Amino acid sequence: MKEKKFKMDFVSSETLNEKSQDKRIGFILSKVSDGSILVTDGVLKPEEEMELIKETMRKVDDGFPGIEVCSLKRQTKGVQLFMERVTDQTERFQTFIGNLRGKPAVKTSLRTGLTLIGPAKIIKKIKKNPNSFSVLTEV
Amino acid sequence: MFEGFVDWFLRIFGSRRDIRLGIYGATNAGKTTLANKISMDFTGEPVGKVSQIPHETRVVQKKEKVEIKHNKKKILINLLDMPGLATKIDYKEFYKYGIRGKAAKKRAKEATDGVIEAIRWLSNVDTVLAVMDSTQDPLNQINITLLGNLEARKIPVIIVANKVDKKRAKPDAIREAFPQYPVVGISALKGKNLNGLYDAIAKYARRAK
Repeated sequence: MKEKKFKMDFVSSETLNEKSQDKRIGFILSKVSDGSILVTDGVLKPEEEMELIKETMRKVDDGFPGIEVCSLKRQTKGVQLFMERVTDQTERFQTFIGNLRGKPAVKTSLRTGLTLIGPAKIIKKIKKNPNSFSVLTEV
Repeated sequence: MFEGFVDWFLRIFGSRRDIRLGIYGATNAGKTTLANKISMDFTGEPVGKVSQIPHETRVVQKKEKVEIKHNKKKILINLLDMPGLATKIDYKEFYKYGIRGKAAKKRAKEATDGVIEAIRWLSNVDTVLAVMDSTQDPLNQINITLLGNLEARKIPVIIVANKVDKKRAKPDAIREAFPQYPVVGISALKGKNLNGLYDAIAKYARRAK
């Protein structure tokens, strides 16, 4: 009987933070379309996650039906929330200036949390609760 | 005062556009059924075809100049029924609905294009009805990502907890999952509590800033 396996890649948020949004999404999709389940200690911003969905749709073919993604964002409040908003605004401003100068590839930072992204071919179901999630796979 | 003057000026000279009301959500949440219901109520014409097969709506369907008259208030909207959002589209899923071979692959390709189109339209809608199936777990990534995007773009959102006529419906689970948003429980199919939805549209719908 042939052994059935799947690969998991644990990637630090630093590794992803070093990349611009385009390269980050490209990196994630290349791992996932190769059959890996990727886990990182960070959470993509909602706009970035929507871009990830868009790029996934461009990549869907007979052998790659898409992805499953689930994230747990650390709840921020008070000073942390304020700092998160300041960072968001600064990054949006930098992206705007980058676009004006024809250099849109600005680096943005991931939010604190945990994300799992994997191929829909392997991940059959994700059950999420507010503070946890469980993943059912089928190889 | 200045804004009031601008509103008045634009209204007089006709360049103030209608509110673009986007209907978003995961596949088979009942978006087109809802769009048809709203459109039938105020124009007498449907927006699009409804089906049990996922990804029936694969292009953005529009109904322009829909005047919602409710409780002495009138709102002129352009109704935009979006293709269902998804992170995966497997052509083999269509087999169980009798769609096979090239037809299944074609439908899947059109569905992926539809998702991309729906995401692009996020920059062009003023207010969103986020339709969720009350019989399903609301904490899925599509709902979370959609609401996060709308919040980041400062687009007003009304969550429509659809299919409340079903036995397994749990609209309160949606309210618990997303307490920061207005949630209206309806059944688009049976026409249940549409007045509650029109109240919410009258209260929250506005043009994007």
